[in-house]
Amino acid sequence: MSAPTRLRITGGAVHDPANGVDGDVRDICIEDGRIVAEVPAGSPTLDARGMVIMPGGVDIHAHFASSSCNHARRLIPDEHAADPAPAPSLVEGLARSGTGGTVPSTFTTGYRYAGLGYTTAFDAAVAPLTARHSHSELDDTPCVDGGIFVLMGNDEYLLRQIAAGERDRARDYAAWLLRATGGYAIKIVNPGGVEAWKTGQRNVATIDDQVDGRPVTPRAILETITAAGNALRLPHPVHIHCNNLGVAGNAATTLASMEALAGRRAHFTHLQFHCYGGGGGQPWSSAAPKLIEYVNAHPEVSVDVGQVMFGPAMTITADAPVEYLLHKSSGRRWTNIDIELETGCGIVPLTYKDKAAVSALQWAIGLELFLLSQDPWRVVLSTDHPNGGSFLSYPALIQLLMDRSVRDEQLKRVNPKLLAGSALADGLAREYTLNEIAIITRAGPARLLGLRAKGHLGAGADADVTIYSREPDLARMFSTPRYVIKHGELIVEEGQLRRAPAGRRLRVAPGYDDAVLPDLRRHFERYSTVAFEHYPVRDLPGEPLAVG
Amino acid sequence: MSPSELGPVTCLGCGCGCDDLRVRVADGRITDLSPPCPVARAWFGDGRVPGAVRVNGRDASVQDALREAATVLAGAVGRALVVLAPDISVQAQGTALALADRLRAAVDSATSDAAAAGLLAAQRRGRAAATLGELRNRADAVLFWAVDPGPRYPRYQSRYAPDPVGTHVPEGRSGRTVISVSVGADRGPGSADVELVLAPDQEIPALSVMRAVALGNPLGELPAPLDAAAAIAGRLMKARYVAVVHEAEPGQQQARDRYRAEGLLGLANALNGPTRAALSSLRAGGNRNGAEAALTWQTGYPMAVSFEGGTPAYAPDRRALTGAEAMSAILVVGAAATVASALESAAAKVPVIVVGPRASEASLPARVAIDTGVAGIHEGGTAYRMDDVPLPLSPPLAEAGARSAAETIAALLEEVLARPERGTG
Ligand code: SF4
Ligand SMILES: [Zn+2]
Repeated sequence: MSAPTRLRITGGAVHDPANGVDGDVRDICIEDGRIVAEVPAGSPTLDARGMVIMPGGVDIHAHFASSSCNHARRLIPDEHAADPAPAPSLVEGLARSGTGGTVPSTFTTGYRYAGLGYTTAFDAAVAPLTARHSHSELDDTPCVDGGIFVLMGNDEYLLRQIAAGERDRARDYAAWLLRATGGYAIKIVNPGGVEAWKTGQRNVATIDDQVDGRPVTPRAILETITAAGNALRLPHPVHIHCNNLGVAGNAATTLASMEALAGRRAHFTHLQFHCYGGGGGQPWSSAAPKLIEYVNAHPEVSVDVGQVMFGPAMTITADAPVEYLLHKSSGRRWTNIDIELETGCGIVPLTYKDKAAVSALQWAIGLELFLLSQDPWRVVLSTDHPNGGSFLSYPALIQLLMDRSVRDEQLKRVNPKLLAGSALADGLAREYTLNEIAIITRAGPARLLGLRAKGHLGAGADADVTIYSREPDLARMFSTPRYVIKHGELIVEEGQLRRAPAGRRLRVAPGYDDAVLPDLRRHFERYSTVAFEHYPVRDLPGEPLAVG
Repeated sequence: MSPSELGPVTCLGCGCGCDDLRVRVADGRITDLSPPCPVARAWFGDGRVPGAVRVNGRDASVQDALREAATVLAGAVGRALVVLAPDISVQAQGTALALADRLRAAVDSATSDAAAAGLLAAQRRGRAAATLGELRNRADAVLFWAVDPGPRYPRYQSRYAPDPVGTHVPEGRSGRTVISVSVGADRGPGSADVELVLAPDQEIPALSVMRAVALGNPLGELPAPLDAAAAIAGRLMKARYVAVVHEAEPGQQQARDRYRAEGLLGLANALNGPTRAALSSLRAGGNRNGAEAALTWQTGYPMAVSFEGGTPAYAPDRRALTGAEAMSAILVVGAAATVASALESAAAKVPVIVVGPRASEASLPARVAIDTGVAGIHEGGTAYRMDDVPLPLSPPLAEAGARSAAETIAALLEEVLARPERGTG
C-alpha cells in the first residue's frame, strides 16, 4: 500500500502565519509531496473538523546527530535502560527499536520528533572533522529533514587567516568547509575560547581578549565570520553561541557581541544561557529585560531562547571550558574531547531542579525572553535540546507560554532566592496565541533558516503538516498530534506513528575561489592527521539548496 | 594491466587509521605499499581473498546461500547471536544491527575484554580525551603507560606523538618530554627521556599517587618507586598539554585491566586541573571503533547489546559470545578468524552463518559461508580510527570483483524481511 499522492484536508482551523492565516477554517490540498491550491474533486480527504492545523515543526537548534551526541549517549546507559523504546508498528518498512533518555538513539529520535509533529531539525554543533559521522546518524534518523551547523571560530586555519588580515581567504575557506562537510550553516561557539581552553589560557573573558597570544580576538572572529556568512548569502546567517556561557554577569559580553555586529544579520542562540546579571561578588540575576530590549530594537538580530525545563538534561557543547567548570561545581561525570585544529567537545549530565536557585533563575529568564519579546518571528523556541531539557518538553513549554495560570502555579513552587525583582516574579500577563506558537515553532524558525518551502502551508511548500486535536490540556494537545504528514505522506495517524520515511538532507554548497585550495592543502599536509583528499564528505543524499 | 600507484589509501591494519598510504597495484594484486609499515603489509597482503559461497560445505549460488541463511535466522528469532567481527565498514555494521533488531538477537563484537573495561570505566566517570591530531599538535609531554606502540601500532609515534612537528610543538620530538612506564612484562618504549619500572602490584598504587599529586593532595614521604611516580606527576603538571597513552587491547600482563583503565582515566582527569591532558587509548584495527559507534547511535550502548526483549538491553558483564551455545543460530559478519576460537564449541551444536572476508576459510563448521571483500581493500564506506574519527575508505582493489560485504548483508536483511516472523520472539 502506498500513500495517496493527493490529499485534501478539510474542516480544520489553519494556523499558517507566514501566509496571514490565523485559525481560518479552510482546506489544505496536497499533491506529490507539496501543498497545492487545489486537488481534483474525488481526491482522498482527511476530515480535520474541530482540529488545529499547522505546518510541521522546525527545530532550529538541537543536538541529536553528532559525534558529541554519540559520546553523550555512551555516558548514560542508566538513562537508556530506564527508557526502552520498542519499535513502532509501521505499516511499511523496517521499524527499529531503540532507547530514549536525554539523548535517544537515532531511530528513536526521528520517531519521537515525528510524534511531536516536528518534521525538520538541525543539529547545531558539528565539528567539521566528524561531519561524516553526523551524516551517518542523519541517515538513521527517519521522519525529519535534517542538516548540520558546522563549527568555526576556533579553527586553526581560520585563526591564522584572521591574524593575517586575510578576510577574503577566510570567506573562501568558510565556503569550502560548508561544502566539504555538507553543512547548512556556520556555527560559532565561544569564539577563541575553545582554542584558549586547549592552551594554558583556558578561556577568554571578554570579546577583546587575545587568543593564545595571537593578534586575534573574539571580536575579530565574530566580525570576520559574520561578514563571510553574509557575503556568501547563506540561507541562515551565522549562528552564534557567545563567549562566557553560563557565567554570572555574562549579559555584558552578549550585549557587546551584539553591538560588535550591529547592522549585520546574525542569529544569537540559546540567549537564556547568555543572559545573566551579577558576577563580581554580586548575586546572579536576570538580564532578560535588557537583552530582549536590544533584540526588539534591532531587526537584524534573531535569537532562539534555550529554555531550561526542570528535570534531567544533558549538557553537550563545543564550549569545552564551560563543561570543565560544570564538572567541578556539580561533581557529575565529565567527558572532554579536544578536536584537532577545529574545536572541542564537553559533556556533563545535569538535572535542573526547581528548588535550586540558579536553575529557577534560568527557567525564569527563558520565560521572560519569550514574554517580553515583541517579535515572535525573531525570538523562537528552543531548549537547546538536550542542554536545557529534551525536545520532548516542548509541549510543556508551549503550555507555560499559552497559559498564565500554569506558569504562576509553577512559579510558586520554584526557589525564589534569585528571582526578587525579576520581571516574571513581578507578573507577566502575556499569553501566547496559537498563531504565535505557530510562529515560534515553525514559521519563524523556517524563515530564519531561509527555508522557503518549510514553515508554511502556501502553494509550493513542502507538504509537512501537523494536525492537533483541541484539548484543554495544552501540553497534552501538543505532545500527541492526531495526524502528521511528511512530504505528503501520512506518517502519524490517530496519534500513532505508521510510517517512517527517510528524511531529506538540507545542505548548501556555496561557491569559492579555488585559489584557497593550495594553501589549504599545505595546511593539511603540515598539521592534519586526515588527508586533504579524504576530508570532504562525498556521496551525500539529495541536492544542496540554492544559495543567494 | 600495467602497474599503478594509488593513494592516499586508508589502512585499517591497526587503530591508527593512517590514511596516507600509497599502494602499488599490478594485475589486480597489491605489490607494494609505502610507507613500509609491517602491520599494514600483513593486513593488506597482496589483496587476494577467496570468493567462495558454501552451504553445508558445498559450493552454492549466493541466492541459495542467502535463502538458506535467512531460513535459519528467521527460525531463531529471540534466540540468535549476531557477531560484529572486524574488517567491514560502519555501513555494513549498521545493516547487521538492523538485522539483529529484527531477529531480536544478542549482539557481540570484537571489542576485547580490556577495551570493554575501558568503556565501562568511562561510563562510570567520563573521560578526558582528544583526537590524535591534538596530541600531535599540542602534547609537550607524552606518557606511555605500560605500552610501546611500536610493535602493534607501528606509525603511532611518527604520525601522532612524539615525533612530528605540530602547531604548538614546532620542534617536534625535541620539543616533547617522553616518559616511559613499564609494568611487569608490559614495557614502555625505549629512548624515553624519563623511565619508570613498576612491578605489577605497584601499578595501581603508583596511579593513585600520581592522581593525588595532580589533585594537589599532600602525600608526605613516599617509598620507592612511588616517589618516582610522584616526581613524574609533578613533571606532567608543568607541561602545557599531556598525552597519556595506554594499550586498550589485551597486553602481556593479566587481569588488572579494569583498575588500570579506571586509574588512567582518573589521572588524565586530575591533570586537567593544573594543566591540560588527554588519554589516548590504543585500539586494534579493522574498524572496531566503528562497531561501537554504530551500536551507540542505534541502541544507546557501545557493546554487549541484546534485542531479545524487543528493545536494546545492555549486558556488559555477560558477553553474548560466551553464551553462544544456548542460541539457535549464530551470524558472524566480518572477518570471522578473530572470533572463531570463541565460537568453536558452540559451532558444533548451533548453525553458524558467516558473511565476510575469508568466511569460507574460517575454522568453524559453518552452515552458510559467503566470502566478501575487505573494507578498505576491496570496498569503500566509512571506518573509525581509535579516537573515533570517521575516515572514508579508499579501496585500492575496488575493481577486483570481490563481493561487497555491505551489499551482501543488506541482501540477507531483505531475505529475512521477506519471511514471516516466527520463533519465540
Ligand atoms: S600504523 Fe596501523 S594504520 Fe598505520 S599504516 Fe601501520 S598498520 Fe596501518
Ligand atoms: Zn546548542
